[in-house]
Amino acid sequence: MTALGLLLLLPFFWMISTSFKTPLEVFEFPIQWIPQHPVWKHHVNVWTGTGSFALLYMNSLKISVLSTLGAVTFAALAAYGFSRIQFRGREPLFLVYLSMMMIPPQILFVPRFVLFNWMGIYNTHWALILPGAFTIFGVFLLRQFFITVPHEISEAALIDGAGHFRIFTRVILPLAKAPLATLTILDFSWHWNDYENALIFLVDKNLYTVPLGLQNFVLENSVDYNGMMAAATAAMIPMIVVFLAGQKFIIQGIASGAVKG
Amino acid sequence: MKKLKTTGIHNHHPAGYLFIAPSMMGITLFYLVPALMSLVMMFTDYSFMNKGDIQFVGLDNFRRLAGDASFHNSVLKTLIFLLTVPVSLIVAFPVAYILNRSVYWTKLLRTLYFLPYIMNGVAIAFVWMLLFHPSLGPINGALRLIGIADPPGWLSESSTAIYALCIIQIWIMVGYNMIIYLSSLQEVPKELLEAATIDGARLWHSIRYITVPLVSPTTFLLLITGFISAIKTFGIIQATTAGGPGEGSNVLSLYIYKTAFRYYEMGYASAVSWMLFAIVMLIMLVNWAGQRRWVHY
Repeated sequence: MTALGLLLLLPFFWMISTSFKTPLEVFEFPIQWIPQHPVWKHHVNVWTGTGSFALLYMNSLKISVLSTLGAVTFAALAAYGFSRIQFRGREPLFLVYLSMMMIPPQILFVPRFVLFNWMGIYNTHWALILPGAFTIFGVFLLRQFFITVPHEISEAALIDGAGHFRIFTRVILPLAKAPLATLTILDFSWHWNDYENALIFLVDKNLYTVPLGLQNFVLENSVDYNGMMAAATAAMIPMIVVFLAGQKFIIQGIASGAVKG
Repeated sequence: MKKLKTTGIHNHHPAGYLFIAPSMMGITLFYLVPALMSLVMMFTDYSFMNKGDIQFVGLDNFRRLAGDASFHNSVLKTLIFLLTVPVSLIVAFPVAYILNRSVYWTKLLRTLYFLPYIMNGVAIAFVWMLLFHPSLGPINGALRLIGIADPPGWLSESSTAIYALCIIQIWIMVGYNMIIYLSSLQEVPKELLEAATIDGARLWHSIRYITVPLVSPTTFLLLITGFISAIKTFGIIQATTAGGPGEGSNVLSLYIYKTAFRYYEMGYASAVSWMLFAIVMLIMLVNWAGQRRWVHY
């Protein structure tokens, strides 16, 4: 079974090892898993050559960080409203929310294209950041957790004269560190890997994100297989860092969300 | 006064609107309004070209759908691609079951299995394009080694491209499904399984009649979320085959993208995208109706 697990990982080993090979060694069979004379050139090229990854990284980081920040903030506020405060129309409004989750993104692309043109944000990073700052899934995930916090805690705080905003920031948020971390990591990964939105809404090359830059890399150097693998490896690094930093939360968070529905 | 405050959270409280307002505005502007716009657009000939002159064409777009061979092909290719969901569950469950019993490696492997799920779709596309390379790739190299003289062309042939993409999708999903199954298996009470063993149940029976039913809510959830994410898959397909060769892997999400942003037939693309929605809803309803038969809460 461990063997099957490792089989799943072979494509990764192959990607990394190929990025250190010479062009002649790429398709050598049987596969040389550890190149005899590792070549660093491809990795250097990724960072310094034309269409350098430094710019792509900056663009992707900017979009991912701002989107995630907005998404987590707005989702936490909304989740608090939907779970800890009773107000007229709460249930129907939440249903409208959830129904939006069922809509495939493909339906939204054309009208968003029109809308963004009209708002003047087509072909700017805002076309990715603004919609990215709202996550229905996030509201749902956090609400699931907020519901489980005993209401006595809020009531005690209310008696002490705290308002809802104070209870939210001082009581609920500190209790929700794990689900907040889960949402942050997941949301960041979606924005980091988002290819479709970038493909549709970004035109200028100096606005390109990592997935678009990768695609471009192939269009320009379609036979530089080692370079492709070095670029693919580079694209993964931030995700691996984020994942290692928060793996405890990711697995717990996703698992509890999935198991408990 | 105090009493009123105590019950405050159970009464109608306008602060609720303030909390949901920012998110409500965003969802309205970026989800609800576009969805409504799209509903209108599907009855028009809206195109990037005819900005000033948009005609209502009634049901023309839907009449065109009925006779559009490319659309029919893309529905078929989408349905094939959706088969990856049950297949990846069938692969993931036994592995998770065995991993759940072994002590060693589990922690490290759990982390590593997650990698395909968080990896960039375009990067995944590159790696598999090379692995599937028809003449030089290591996969066909291995197939030749075991005596298959004429291995498939995988992504480079119109007839096989969709299946090659299914393999990639299964590879992406198996690790994720395994991790979810693992967490679910850890909640199966050990006493129940021990009792069954004492009563002389064979391993197969205890799996069939205890473990599988107990994790069925997880299976149901993975099935539903899996279908939703499979039907939305775009990145790996666009980056490997762009729907080709020919229309070999032109699933609905790619067909919509091309119709809208390559041919700028946005009214028609809107109609197609609602057909995608209809398929999602149909799958959901079938699953929902069927769950009583096999999901045990």
